[in-house]
Amino acid sequence: MLAKIQWWKWLAILLVFYTVVAGFLIPVPRLPILHESIRNLFFHVTMWFAMMIMMIASIVYGIRYLSDSDPDNDLKAEQCIRTGIFLGILGLITGSIWAKNTWGAWWVNDAKLNGSAATMLVYFAYIILRGSLDDEHRRARIAAVYSIFAFTMMIVFIMILPRLTDSLHPGNGGNPGFGTYDLDNRMRTVFYPAVIGWSLLMAWITEMRIRVKRLERVQDELH
Amino acid sequence: MGVLICTGLIKTDKSLIAQQIKYLFLKEIHVEWKQKYAFNGLLLYVIATVFICYLSFKQIIELPTWNALFWIIQVFAGVNAVAKSFLQESRGLTLYYYSIADPRAIILSKILYNLCLMLVLSAFNLLFYSLFVGNPVENLPMFILGMLLGSAGFSAVLTMISAIASRAGQNTTLMSVLGFPVLIPLLMTTIRFSKNAMDGLPWSVSSSLVIILVSLNLMVVALTFLLFPYLWRD
Amino acid sequence: MKKSKIFQLALLLSLPVSSYSQTPDPGSPEMADLMRSNGKIYVVVTVVSIVFTGIIVFMLMLDRKIRRLEERRSK
Repeated sequence: MLAKIQWWKWLAILLVFYTVVAGFLIPVPRLPILHESIRNLFFHVTMWFAMMIMMIASIVYGIRYLSDSDPDNDLKAEQCIRTGIFLGILGLITGSIWAKNTWGAWWVNDAKLNGSAATMLVYFAYIILRGSLDDEHRRARIAAVYSIFAFTMMIVFIMILPRLTDSLHPGNGGNPGFGTYDLDNRMRTVFYPAVIGWSLLMAWITEMRIRVKRLERVQDELH
Repeated sequence: MGVLICTGLIKTDKSLIAQQIKYLFLKEIHVEWKQKYAFNGLLLYVIATVFICYLSFKQIIELPTWNALFWIIQVFAGVNAVAKSFLQESRGLTLYYYSIADPRAIILSKILYNLCLMLVLSAFNLLFYSLFVGNPVENLPMFILGMLLGSAGFSAVLTMISAIASRAGQNTTLMSVLGFPVLIPLLMTTIRFSKNAMDGLPWSVSSSLVIILVSLNLMVVALTFLLFPYLWRD
Repeated sequence: MKKSKIFQLALLLSLPVSSYSQTPDPGSPEMADLMRSNGKIYVVVTVVSIVFTGIIVFMLMLDRKIRRLEERRSK
């Protein structure tokens, strides 16, 4: 029974377990203001990375749907975006708590924060758009078109605009997350596995949702 | 005159998208000219909003408030303008146009038309705003450039969004829901640029913002150009 | 074959982690959380591990249930 679970799910479990344990135990750079909360890197920033991966997956499926009109592709695209939204909400909440702790306010007027909030709004609008259409094929097609638009906007909001307008924050050492710390080499040994692990875990959850929806669809067709 | 435009459109070789755009653009203006009430309605909307701002503030002393309010009025007027331009076409006429013209020409002509509409609206906005509340702008040419770029951006984004929304049931609420999040960064950049213009800051400070605005506009138009044909496959 | 490789990887990864621990540095006053690492941090790690294991077990059970439904559907 356990043998039928795919290898990448075991890898996900392993990597996230490693992250959870090592994230607390490894020595981290001593920085003012942040203190131990720099460990948040493994849990908060990874959420955003995982969200990006989910959104990339969703437009890949969206483009596939536009080229071959297979409703399974649309199903996968939608579930990827739903998981991405969940990750984005988690990222916003955890980021807010972290900000309150280190910067003193739940929200600051930072380009990246505003950009990520706008991205969440854009994807919420995707869900509403899907909800307002009834015809399956039209819904799938319009949702795919909008999701390509939304993804491009997301790249602009989160990656491009903050780099152009924030002349105060220098670029970080390989980490697109904002902050004034450099990524320590020791932290990299936990950070990269963490990103892969959390993304795989979220992919597992998405895959389960897709399978359930497929079963529901089969059941609907039978009636 | 409408007949002339239609025959011109049919006679045009389908591969000449530029020609089609010209004809469709003329058609939009022609339709608007006949039913003046849509344009006048938008004008009245702008004037009424500006008047309400005046009554609430009496005189806006702080520059950021002046700037922000100006652009908020612009955004709302723009959303209304673009929504109207899509919703007022009857279904049969729409089908007819899409059977004889390239969908990309259609969307580009709509973007151009909305751009002109928004420019006119923003000009009136500025006029009445200055009349009622005062005009503290120091660098007027730069401010007007900001208006131009901002209107172009709003027009491109809103036209694409309202194209999506019109396929999803002609719902104005949906258009606002879809449109506002996407407009936010564009709006922020435009507000910052026009604030710099108001303060009279030198060109070098704002040049990066201009580049951002122009590239955003181009990107949205390119995306629209690529994606619109998929929307109209019905 | 693949699973055994992953278990080997797990063993390899866990070795250096157990040798890490936060050693107090007398020169920097910024890290105020050193008393955590004198034993208490392991409580946190244990608790979080248990929570995480619970969640994973739950997900595995879900996966199994869905697979059963799929197999029944395909019969």
